[in-house]
Order: sequence, then structure tokens, then C-alpha cells
Amino acid sequence: MAEKIEVSGFRHFFQTEGGPVQATGTIDLSIRAGEFVTLVGPSGCGKTTLLKAIAGFITPSEGSIVCDGKPVKGPGRDRGVVFQELAILPWRTVRRNIAHGLEIARVPRVQRDATVTRLVGLMGLVGFEDRYPHELSGGMRQRVAVARTWAADPEIILMDEPFAAVDAMTRLTLQEELGRLCVATRKTVFFITHSVEEAVFLADRVLVMTKRPGTIKAVLDVPRREAGGRDWDSFTSDPVMQKIAGEVMHLVHAERV
Amino acid sequence: MMHRLIWRCLPAVPAVIALLAWWAWFAIDRPPPSVMPSATDVVVTMWQLAFGGRLAGDILASLARLLSGVGLGIVTGMIAGFVAGLNRPVASFLNPLVVFFNAISGIVWLPLVIGWLGIGSALAIFLIWNTVFFIVFQNTVLGVQLVAEVLELSVRSLGGGRWETIRSVTLPGALPYILSGIRSGLGFGWRALIAAELVGATTGLGQLIFSGAEYHRADIIVGGCLLIGAIAMAMDRWLLLPIERRTVMRWGLVTSGRGR
Amino acid sequence: MKLLAPLRVLMPFAVLVAIWWGIKSGAQVPDKLLVAPPAVWASFVYLVTHGILAEYASASLRMIGLAAMISFVIGVPLGFAVGTNRYAARALEGTLRFLQGISGIAWLPLAILWFGFSNTTTLTIVIYTLIVPIVFNTMTGVRAIPENYVLALQSLGAGRLRIVRDVYLPGALPSIVVGMRLGMGYGWRALIASEMLVRQGGLGDLIFSARTFSQIDRIMVGMVVIGTLYIIVDRLLVQPIETMTIARWGILRR
Repeated sequence: MAEKIEVSGFRHFFQTEGGPVQATGTIDLSIRAGEFVTLVGPSGCGKTTLLKAIAGFITPSEGSIVCDGKPVKGPGRDRGVVFQELAILPWRTVRRNIAHGLEIARVPRVQRDATVTRLVGLMGLVGFEDRYPHELSGGMRQRVAVARTWAADPEIILMDEPFAAVDAMTRLTLQEELGRLCVATRKTVFFITHSVEEAVFLADRVLVMTKRPGTIKAVLDVPRREAGGRDWDSFTSDPVMQKIAGEVMHLVHAERV
Repeated sequence: MMHRLIWRCLPAVPAVIALLAWWAWFAIDRPPPSVMPSATDVVVTMWQLAFGGRLAGDILASLARLLSGVGLGIVTGMIAGFVAGLNRPVASFLNPLVVFFNAISGIVWLPLVIGWLGIGSALAIFLIWNTVFFIVFQNTVLGVQLVAEVLELSVRSLGGGRWETIRSVTLPGALPYILSGIRSGLGFGWRALIAAELVGATTGLGQLIFSGAEYHRADIIVGGCLLIGAIAMAMDRWLLLPIERRTVMRWGLVTSGRGR
Repeated sequence: MKLLAPLRVLMPFAVLVAIWWGIKSGAQVPDKLLVAPPAVWASFVYLVTHGILAEYASASLRMIGLAAMISFVIGVPLGFAVGTNRYAARALEGTLRFLQGISGIAWLPLAILWFGFSNTTTLTIVIYTLIVPIVFNTMTGVRAIPENYVLALQSLGAGRLRIVRDVYLPGALPSIVVGMRLGMGYGWRALIASEMLVRQGGLGDLIFSARTFSQIDRIMVGMVVIGTLYIIVDRLLVQPIETMTIARWGILRR
């Protein structure tokens, strides 16, 4: 399969008043089309910096990032981002938030409505189309954020701890839904988390990062998920999965800050 | 049931007490009308002024000045505020000037500007604009700078350009601050208007009450003051509140606890 | 880096003065409309060396200081009394809003009828202007304190006085400071306006009298002094308290 994201020799420094601060170590990584890659690491290791660089929000201090053979020069419609914080617009209804990317791309209204209706159904938001975000629960809002990104139909989706602010029960449901959505839509996903279980549950491949300045210290393949995605019941009872989770846990544990 | 009735009537209590005290004062000791008019005098005078008097003209003159000045202040303040809010160097260059001119905004300009514009509407409009501009400007800059970065990033990742980001994120995101700037601008502007009209105009509510002082007509003054308060309250309720209800409150950005 | 800070503040003013000077000499604006910066400076030196400025400025400062003190001493306890009782709060909220709409300066004609063209008139107007926002904001500050704070302390056995001291006072403080700041903003302007009409000294009197003789230089000195004094009072007295309370406790307004 073709390389969808190619990061080589990436290193980043932040300019502060006390001089430059190293945010990440040297990172090389490549993600194939249709692959779901998760990245686990301790807080402050530079995971978000790497994701922001791939998204095009920051220009790397060193190294290059290539998506689909083209060097990244800024944010673009080919790379959708789901943020950890609530990044949907409070002044747009659920429907208009989901349709926002399509509005920007000047997609005709009829087509826009069809896409929104499809995603509203897929994400379990039926009946909430005309609500404003503050009228929804945290889990619902994050569903809207996911739906908005999917509606714009980018080939690459970057997710930065999207379920960190959601309560534990809802998170399990959202993870299962995300798994199904990805299998159904064949996106290339780069997903950042600090939860080991979440990383292993969702991924085709798990990357483990060291503490700051972070580099990638291990790569673990997770056997391909069966059609229809994964569910937590079979995950917790599957000895192969539990073994991988144990390994990742061990690797991450060694990086305690 | 009884309790709810009392609760609903409570806001009227101070007014009722004030009226009773007013009447009691006149029942016990009758002050000269040039010091304190009776409540009936005030009502009669206002009635006479309203029908066949100058009241309508004064109200219209005051409101026209207020709306021109405030409108001008909002438009210029927001435009300048966006330019400065989106360009940090511009904002930090302008900041000392804005702090200074905000401190002397409004009535302080009257002696100087009266020489430029003469007595009349232009003077009052300038003083109101001058008051509203700096407040709206400062609030807009603050609002624009405080819009959550993640919201801007999210729209850019959807392919939105600079203009789209400003239109769909920065403007609505800064709106709570802009509206609170407009509200306090309106408060300061209304004060500036009355003060300006006391000396710098020949019509308007400020001039009405000032002429009351000249002719020792306390009834005109008291009536005029009550009218000024009523108009300010009406503007708040029927102009600002509906805008807030439809925007920032609807979006859950602010709750309805409206303090000043 | 530190040395640059005053420069950053003064730079914009230098540009402004240059523009002003340019307009004055470039467009040949007559002296009765606008004077050049050196004339203003000369006037400033004159007013300072003859003690005129000190006299007028101290009159204004004494007045605003006295009014602020009286308004604070009366307004804050009144705001508490109203705020802690929900019936009183409900009864008075609308009235206070209404009174906020009538600026102090609007009562000036009546005050002149009552007290003549005297300092009492000005003081009354300024106190009225200051006290209404102080009472209003103290009240809303007290009303905004979560009931759980009070309940938690009551369950620890706290009496009414302790609850006022430990919950209501710190909880309402940011709002009180906001009211004080707003009141000072309204009050300082009301003072200047009142001085213009009452003509019994003060900076408002200074600039308005200068108008009568078309002394633009004097007017501009007065404006600069009025602005500078307000900034000093606001930045050096009121704002530090605001940052202290709001920043320290992480309490957001509203």
C-alpha cells in the first residue's frame, strides 16, 4: 500500500522568552493509506506538536512532512482534525456545525443536507440537529466534532485525544462507534492518546513515545480488526489483545514522568 | 399562590414607597414648588409638555443624537478593534493611546470641541462617538484576542481561509465582549449626551431639565429625570436584551445573569 | 528589555504629537481652534509654577476622594443588606437599574435648585453617580455566590457573621471592585461636568473657564491632566485590587 503520511527527520523547538525549548526528539514515521495508527506517550512528550505539524498548524523546525507525495505547507481539506477540547462552534447548531466544511467547500445545499443526514444517523444524533452545542452532553458534542470532520470527507484524519474530556462510560461507546466508522469509510487515521487500552483497541499499529523530548521508542502491530470493527467485550476477553496491551503498558510505564 | 403574588409585586414596592413618602411630605409640610414639586404637579407638567409642548421634539432630538453617536461609535470601534485585535503589534502600539483617550472620553472634550463644531447636534454626536468608540474598541480587541485558538484551527482544518475564519469564528466568538462593550458604551454615551445637552445644545432632554433649573421649575426637572431613566431602561430591555437573547445567550456563551 | 517599556508607551504619544503639530502648522489652523504643542507646554509650565494647576487639581481630587469614600462606606453595606435578602434584592433590583439610567448629571439642575452653585451640589451629584453602581454590583456579587458555599459553612457550624466574613465578602469582592471601577469612571466624568456648570473650582471649571476666553492651550493642559489623574487613580488604586482578587482566586466575572 502507498505511504499516505511520511514524516522524516522531524524535530521541533518552541521559541520562548528564555530561548528555544525542545518539544520533540527526532521522529521518523510513515502511515499507509487506510491504516489506523495510534500514538501513546506521557503528557508533554510532544505528541500534540507532531499532530499539529502534520495538520499544518505549525512549521517543523527540522525535517519534512509529506502527505500524498506533497509537502505539508499549511492546513488543508485533505487532513481533517478532531481536537481534544470542544472545538465545535457554540454559535452553530449541530446541523450547521457538521455542514461547515461542506459550506466552506461550496458544496450545493442538497448534497450538503444529504451528507449531514447520513452522518447524523451514523453518529446517533438524530433529533438533535437543530440544537446548539451547549444544549448537548459532552459525549454528544464530541460526536458532532467527529461528524463534522467526516462530513468534509478528508482522506486523512488526525485525532488529538478526542475522548479525553468525555465520561468513561460514554467513551467506551464512542470508541466502538469510531472503530465501526473507520472500517466503513476506510480513512487513514492518526490518533493520539495517553490511554493504553484505547490505543490498542483502536489501532492497526501502536506507536509508543518516550518522555520529552519525545521520540518513537517502539512500534507494535495489532492484528487487523474483523469486519464491523471491535467491541470491548471481545477485546477484554481476547488473550492476544490483552498481551499487546500488557506490552504497551510496560513500555509506557517505563516513561513515567 | 399568595406568595407568588407578593413575589411578582415586589419590584413595584420601592416605587410605591417613594410615592407614598412624596405624598406624605406634602401632607405634612409643603415645600416651595421651586424646591420640590408635588407628584401631581410632575404628572400634569409632563402631560402638558407631551401634548402641545416641546417634549416629543426633545426626546426625538436626544434619541437621534444618541443613535447617530452610538452607531458611529460601534461601527468605527468594531472595525478598528478587529484590525488591532488581529494584529498584535498594532494593538500594543495603540494601547497607550486608547487608555489615555478613554480616560478623557466624553464630556472632557466639550470645551475644546465646542470651538470646532459650535453648539448643537454635531457636538453631542461627537462626544457620544468619542465615548462609545474607545469602549467598543477595547472590548472588541479583548474579545478577538480571547477567542479560543482551537476553534480557529478547527475551521482552518476544514479548509476555511482567513476571511472564513474571521466571519464564522472570530466575529461570533468576540460577540459577548463586543455586546458588553456596546452596553457600557450606551451607558456612558447616554450620560455624555445629557451632560452635553446641558450646555452644548438648544434642544434635547438635557436642555429641557436645564431650562427647568433656569426658570426654577423643579417639576420639569424631576419629570425629565424620570423620563431619562425610563428611556434608558427601555433601550436596555427592547434594544440590547433581544439582541443578547438571540445571540450570545442562545449559544450558551453567557447566562442571563445580567449585571452591569 | 526593561528599558524599552517606557519607550513603548511614549512612542505612540510622540507620533500623535507629531501628527498634531503637522496638522497645526501644515493646515495653518488658527490659534482659537488649535494651538501647537509648545504653546500647551508653556501653558502647563505657567499653570504649574503659579500654583494654579495644583489648586484646581487638588479641588477635583479632594472631591472625588471624599465622594468615593462616602459611597463606599454607605454603598457596600447597603449592597450586602440587599443582596443577602432575596426579597429585598427582588424589590430593589429594578429600581437600581432605573436609577442607573438617570445619570448623576441629570440631577444637577435639581441639585442646583436645592444647594445653589456650591460644592455641596457637586458632591451630591458625584456621590449619587458612584453609589448606584456600587450598590448594584455588590448586590449582584452577593447574589452570584453559589448557595453551596453558604450551606457548606453552615454545616461546619458557622454563624451568620462568619459566613459574611468568609463567604460573602471574598465572594462578592471582585464584583464590588468592578462596581467601584465603573462608579469611578462615571463619577470622574460627572465631577468634571458638574464643575463646568457649578464653577466653584476644580479641573472642569478650569477648562470651561478657559473656553470663555478661547484659551485653547489651557483647555488642552486641563484635558491631559484630567486623563492622567484618572489613569493614575484607576491603574494605581483600583486595578491592582481587581487583579489581586480576580486573579488570585481565579474568579471570572459573570
